[in-house]
Amino acid sequence: MEIKGEYEFQGPRALLYELLLDPDVLASALPGVERFEEVAPDAYESTMRVGIASVRGTYTGRVTVLEQNPPESYRLQIEGSGKPGGVKADAFVELTEAGTGTTMHYRAEVKARGTIARLGGRLLGGVARLLIGQFFKAIERQVDDRAA
Amino acid sequence: MTTVDGPVLPKLIGERVKRREDPRLIQGQATYVDDIKLPGMLHLAFKRSDIAHGVIRSIDTSAAAAMEGVELVITGAELAETLGPMPIGTPFPAPDHYSVATDKVRYVGEPVAVVVAEDRYLARDAADAIEVEYDELPAVVDPEAAMEAGSATLHEGFERNIAVESYWGGTGVNPETAQPEDDSAVDAAFAEADVVVSQRMLNQRLAPNAMEPRGVVAQYEPGREYLTVWSATQNPHILRTLVAAMMGLGEHQVRAVAPEVGGGFGCKINIYGEEYVAAALSRMVKAPVKWIEDRTEAFLTTTHGRDLLGYIDLAAKNDGTILGLKARIIADIGAYEVLLTAMIPTLTGLMMNGVYRLPVVRHELTEVFTNKTPTDAYRGAGRPEGLYFLERAVDMLARELDMDPAELRRKNFIPTDEFPFATQGGLIYDSGNYEPCLDKALDVAGWQEMLAERDAARAEGRIVGVGLSFYVEVCGLGPSAVVPTGGWEHSGVTVERGGKVTATTGASPHGQGNETTFAQMLADHFSIPLEDITILHGDTSVVKQGIGTFGSRSQAVGGAALISAAGKAGDKMKQFAAALLSEHEVAPEDLVFEDGRIQVAGAPEVSKTFAEVADFAYIPVPLPPGMEPGLSEESFFEPENNTYPFGCHISMVEVDRETGEPKLVKMVAVDDCGNVINPLIVDGQVHGGLAQGIGQAMFEEVVYDEDGQPVTASFMDYVMPRAADLPTFELDNTVTPTPVNPLGAKGVGEAGTIGSTPCVVNAAVDALAPFGVTHIEMPLRPERLWRLIQENGGQS
Repeated sequence: MEIKGEYEFQGPRALLYELLLDPDVLASALPGVERFEEVAPDAYESTMRVGIASVRGTYTGRVTVLEQNPPESYRLQIEGSGKPGGVKADAFVELTEAGTGTTMHYRAEVKARGTIARLGGRLLGGVARLLIGQFFKAIERQVDDRAA
Repeated sequence: MTTVDGPVLPKLIGERVKRREDPRLIQGQATYVDDIKLPGMLHLAFKRSDIAHGVIRSIDTSAAAAMEGVELVITGAELAETLGPMPIGTPFPAPDHYSVATDKVRYVGEPVAVVVAEDRYLARDAADAIEVEYDELPAVVDPEAAMEAGSATLHEGFERNIAVESYWGGTGVNPETAQPEDDSAVDAAFAEADVVVSQRMLNQRLAPNAMEPRGVVAQYEPGREYLTVWSATQNPHILRTLVAAMMGLGEHQVRAVAPEVGGGFGCKINIYGEEYVAAALSRMVKAPVKWIEDRTEAFLTTTHGRDLLGYIDLAAKNDGTILGLKARIIADIGAYEVLLTAMIPTLTGLMMNGVYRLPVVRHELTEVFTNKTPTDAYRGAGRPEGLYFLERAVDMLARELDMDPAELRRKNFIPTDEFPFATQGGLIYDSGNYEPCLDKALDVAGWQEMLAERDAARAEGRIVGVGLSFYVEVCGLGPSAVVPTGGWEHSGVTVERGGKVTATTGASPHGQGNETTFAQMLADHFSIPLEDITILHGDTSVVKQGIGTFGSRSQAVGGAALISAAGKAGDKMKQFAAALLSEHEVAPEDLVFEDGRIQVAGAPEVSKTFAEVADFAYIPVPLPPGMEPGLSEESFFEPENNTYPFGCHISMVEVDRETGEPKLVKMVAVDDCGNVINPLIVDGQVHGGLAQGIGQAMFEEVVYDEDGQPVTASFMDYVMPRAADLPTFELDNTVTPTPVNPLGAKGVGEAGTIGSTPCVVNAAVDALAPFGVTHIEMPLRPERLWRLIQENGGQS
């Protein structure tokens, strides 16, 4: 399934680009992160706890950052699995300037297996949007902190 | 004047007697498999594949095995040392299929390891703790792509994923080669046709969804070397045979019990890996074990039904005379062949003769493996698919020729004087009388009024259509030549002391109401009250022999065995009665059962009560010469042929112009299942069948994504028909008895499912015909209908 959307940040594009790829920022901004380690250049391993309905569980995964084109775009390959199943995602992130702010456009092709897949796009899409929303709020706070 | 006391017993055959089994079933007083609790019982949970296709690289069971209360964790490879590949019931070539995967997984849900633990929740947690690593392989999801060179393959030795290929048609088939001897007649018929309708149609994959999921309890007693298996199955005797064979035991060492079974619909014919595993693990851990399927497992691992793709061509003259049929059918059978998998789609072509004179047919069938749950019987099992293809095509022909769909069918009916009728596929239709059934349906539905109502609605801008279908199906499955398990049925009838009757039947019911219909038959036969009769079933230690309940065979085959056994017991009882009435010099053949007595026909004063004769049979002093004491007889009944019930269904569908949502506003079913024992139960069977057939037409569909992940594995995403979706059904019947059994009964369990599906789709196509629509794939999703409306700019 495809998950896509956009989000408006109040901050310059270069700062956003930097924050979105900073392991420390990610570790604190991603919801439910218990562990976030750089295991190779631009490759991270993470343990996340998700507490939502039937996809509740602990997931371990690997994130690889590809095709970095600062400050405009990058690609993420994400693989994660836990008791309720697994996800593989291929995400493309693009940042465009919007006045003094920045618009982030994201588009991900997500493949799920196990309970996650069986529960269908309805639930998976909702959970993804919820988690992504939490992540953006956290990034927004980081932007505010830097600006302050 | 008669001097008999008490009321005259009413005859019960043909009466709407309420089901005797229902009070206990609806008051929680019945015993299902999950109600069985044995001392020291352990619980199984299965670790299942969450990928569709892959090689098992490693299985780490250490964390699971270390959990307190876990008795055993075992992988498929380890189990294969004691459990061989599972048997199938068809003659087709099949790849090895182990109860638990040994090296490769081929569908989501396939088990890879098993946990035995002290309680169900612990077992499940331990199964979750098993770590499996796979080398993933490309998933094979589309059956047509699966047959192309270069597709990934599921099984070695099955090139291009093809399991079965068959072909017949023309003027005849050479049985040795299965090739047509002369196929040119088909091409000739199509060449001379004025009109040919052609359509690719999908009869989509369905999940049977019995209200009670599967479950098994197995208890191996080492001291006795005896195994007892309780299972939610439609056929405990077949279970016994196959479990014994898999366990290396004789049938004398195995008892199989189907307690109350909450629906089967064909998916509980197959004997599943979980049943063999439970038996083997009970022996291994020396304790009884239980496994109860949850609903997600039911969606993933209980056999699916249907999933046939048809390329159908129908040729006719301008006056509507059908000249020939071509059908190329591709069956997506999923990852493995289970008990009857490969046989089911072969019924599709056989039944595509329908109720018509078909001068020539060409039938091609390919069964294809894909990375999906295996398919097997589902209510109708091959016939709904065939009748759907045929009745859609006939409807398209009517539209093409601008003929009334009823009159086009009438024109091509097999005439009543041509029965028994040999079809192109080699079936012999036992009896049929189609025109009165069609006329009755048109009358009950008010066909002309429906057409006028439709046209008036259209004039108001509403989207309304009417549909009609006429089916024939094959029921009363037997004789042994055509049923791999044996095509007979068994029954025992014992007249007990005190004049009560206990009967057994091998036709193990799971909703069919045999305890009522069979008791009605015995009540009339012996002229005793219904309450004096008990019907036992489902336990191989009580029911000596049996085949089971499938293919609408309970009444036509099981009922015939019952009445045969009752006849034997009754004859013997009359001999005892004649001995008791010896002062009147009565011959047994002069005696009849009447109002609880055995009396000389027409002379009730010369009689003994039923109870007196029963008591005498067990304490026969003096024992009549040449007789054995007791009144317990049994019978095997093997029919000479199947039965071919038929019927006409008519419906009306309205589609919301703005949302595309279809609403079924009228559903009429006039079915002919021969003689009827209990019209209330027949109505119930038809109601359930209609709901399931309408469910296929309008709501249900198993969907896999391109990776072979099932995305409809809960009732959130798999839409079952609900009461509010259905109109009040209008039912009626005609009666054309069968000559192949003494009851004249044909069977009705699957009828509703077969006629209603094409009927409702025909109505939906009729509704959208003003938009240029000639076919709509099932299910009739609002989105699909809305798009068809929009493609035409929303204008009719």
